[in-house]
Amino acid sequence: MTTVVRIDLGPCINCSLCRLACPTECIHYFSTGQRTHVVDPSGCIGCDICVRVCPVDCIDEDPDYLIDPEQLEQAKGKARVFAKRRHDVKVARRERAVVAAGAVAHA
Amino acid sequence: MSKLAEHIRELPSCRNPAYRPAVTIDDEERAELAKKLGDADNYDLIQLREMVRTDPDNIEFRKAMVSGIASAEYAGIDSFSRKVCEWQDWDVPWTLVMAMARQTWDEVRHAQLATGVLESYGGKIGEYPDTLAGSPPPALREGVEQAAQAVGTGAQQSAGPPTGLLNDPVTSLSMVNVSLEGSALTLFKETSKLGAKIGDELLERCFDYNWADEVTHTAIGDYFVKLLCEDNPAAERKALLAHAMFEYGRGRLDQDQSEELKEFFAEEQQRAQAALGGGAAHNH
Repeated sequence: MTTVVRIDLGPCINCSLCRLACPTECIHYFSTGQRTHVVDPSGCIGCDICVRVCPVDCIDEDPDYLIDPEQLEQAKGKARVFAKRRHDVKVARRERAVVAAGAVAHA
Repeated sequence: MSKLAEHIRELPSCRNPAYRPAVTIDDEERAELAKKLGDADNYDLIQLREMVRTDPDNIEFRKAMVSGIASAEYAGIDSFSRKVCEWQDWDVPWTLVMAMARQTWDEVRHAQLATGVLESYGGKIGEYPDTLAGSPPPALREGVEQAAQAVGTGAQQSAGPPTGLLNDPVTSLSMVNVSLEGSALTLFKETSKLGAKIGDELLERCFDYNWADEVTHTAIGDYFVKLLCEDNPAAERKALLAHAMFEYGRGRLDQDQSEELKEFFAEEQQRAQAALGGGAAHNH
């Protein structure tokens, strides 16, 4: 079962790693008007990527939030687009690295 | 301003061997870089990490990657030590000045670590150009401050008298400690993971150590930004703007500019226009 996450603002150091890693861009910072990272649970797919990148372990499951299945599907669609974009960037970097390694080896 | 701070302010950044910023290298050196890295434009920390992953046996790739990190550490020593001198004259808690001193010490150890890893590959500081090269010289420094003021017009209209990037603790802490050091967390984590993957234990452990320090640097920055912005929404907005400017400038984590960041800048522009009497912010 999917469970959304929430951020404990006490220990949060606003490093932004969770926000930048979130595949659905459901962690807000600039639009909060304050220096606080806040999860919009309606966009969360419970992938836990933010939990894994947080250096101070301040992100945890929010068992009280009931997920709307329709919203979850929409969010998953957004995550797929994000993952494709990330994958494309990664592949481009890797291809460039292979070309560089080859060029140097033959120099 | 104290005599010491004034003296430090006028001193250009220096290192032995001297800084050689990557942006200033000539065609001849670009060609030399291309021979070692396939293309001079591959002299980029993220790209170099991928190249080391692709060809772990190529020691030049490793040397270039660690050289780039080492440059940033030397620049960090320069930057934070200047703050220790200059910020003593500012209206900031003395504990903040002490925190800058502690960070200077941390950067020194990081520079030692990066230099040690580089030397383990047979490399040395100055062999590759510097990705970051200390504080701008006095003449350029004024230009940087003016540029920062121009970019930050919207927030500064609401946050009191205009202040430059280098003359304001909230802006500096938000941009350097929270945002830049925050992004360094990814750099060190990924570099350490790369070390584990290719069996380079020194790389793995040294940058894991660096990573732990960066967590505290980000936390220190966040703590003092919160303290300095307490009951001051305008200052908090300024801190957010500084953070956004950094992300916009660096394109963090290869992502496209986020929707939230776009919205934030659009809102900032509206604020600037309103503050300047509507339409005046347009630059035809």
